[in-house]
Amino acid sequence: MAPVSRGPAQIDVLTRALDDAVEEVFHLMTGVHCLPVSQCPVEERAMISAVIGLAGAMSGTCALYSGEKVALRMSEILTGTSSPKLNDTVKDAVGEICNMIAGAWKGRLPALSSECMLSTPTIISGTNYQIHNQRLEFRLEQFYGFEDSSFTFTVVSESLE
Amino acid sequence: MSNIAALIVDDSSVMRKIVERALRQAGICLGEVFEASSGVEALKLLEQKRVDLILSDINMPAMDGLEFLRQLRTQNLAPDVPVVMITTESSEEHVRDAIAAGAQGYIRKPFTPDQVKDRILPLFGSA
Repeated sequence: MAPVSRGPAQIDVLTRALDDAVEEVFHLMTGVHCLPVSQCPVEERAMISAVIGLAGAMSGTCALYSGEKVALRMSEILTGTSSPKLNDTVKDAVGEICNMIAGAWKGRLPALSSECMLSTPTIISGTNYQIHNQRLEFRLEQFYGFEDSSFTFTVVSESLE
Repeated sequence: MSNIAALIVDDSSVMRKIVERALRQAGICLGEVFEASSGVEALKLLEQKRVDLILSDINMPAMDGLEFLRQLRTQNLAPDVPVVMITTESSEEHVRDAIAAGAQGYIRKPFTPDQVKDRILPLFGSA
């Protein structure tokens, strides 16, 4: 199996696959479109993070970073139920959105589809934290917007082979 | 088609509710709906309860969906009940593994109610 290269053309393929995956997940599961945006306001950056481990052909993580209000809205449009605060349902919903995006993204990439495994989601909530990846060699960070909200999705990897 | 008793197996309670909602939106007449958060819990439930349909995730902690399916067949629990996998894993290899383990269908997440209907109704003789 050919390794996933890190040239500009391949980065573009990975990015477009992520854009398509995000839109597919949001549109099919919530009826709402979600498209790339140029930036994400600081207050919408990190109050809750969902992290999925990648193993196999790619070793690293996929992560969704969201502010509290955005997470509450994500949960509401996914489940059809509103929550007043970051409870277990909201965390579960954000984790599932991250899970589906990660799966839809890797499913679009022949080198990863059956050769890269996903972990179950881990949810981290709170303020003023950073997620540190050792031996980071590749990082893809995109901002996405739906309705008047935005969030960040990253793919980081220690290798691409 | 009379009311179908369904078992939904997924470690996410949100996803279990979403699957139930999709089944109803697909026009499937549901009777009792049972939920299990793991393959182990599902096997225990099936020792006590009778269902007409099982929908299971694949990526779950402790016992994944394929192992749950294998145990179902090994223990001869719910022998004539169709099992449909609902999962983010979409490769041909994963589909083949699921069918080989005894699944009657496969639905990839994300999904629409129409996709659920197309996979489930034929299992009960409806188009």
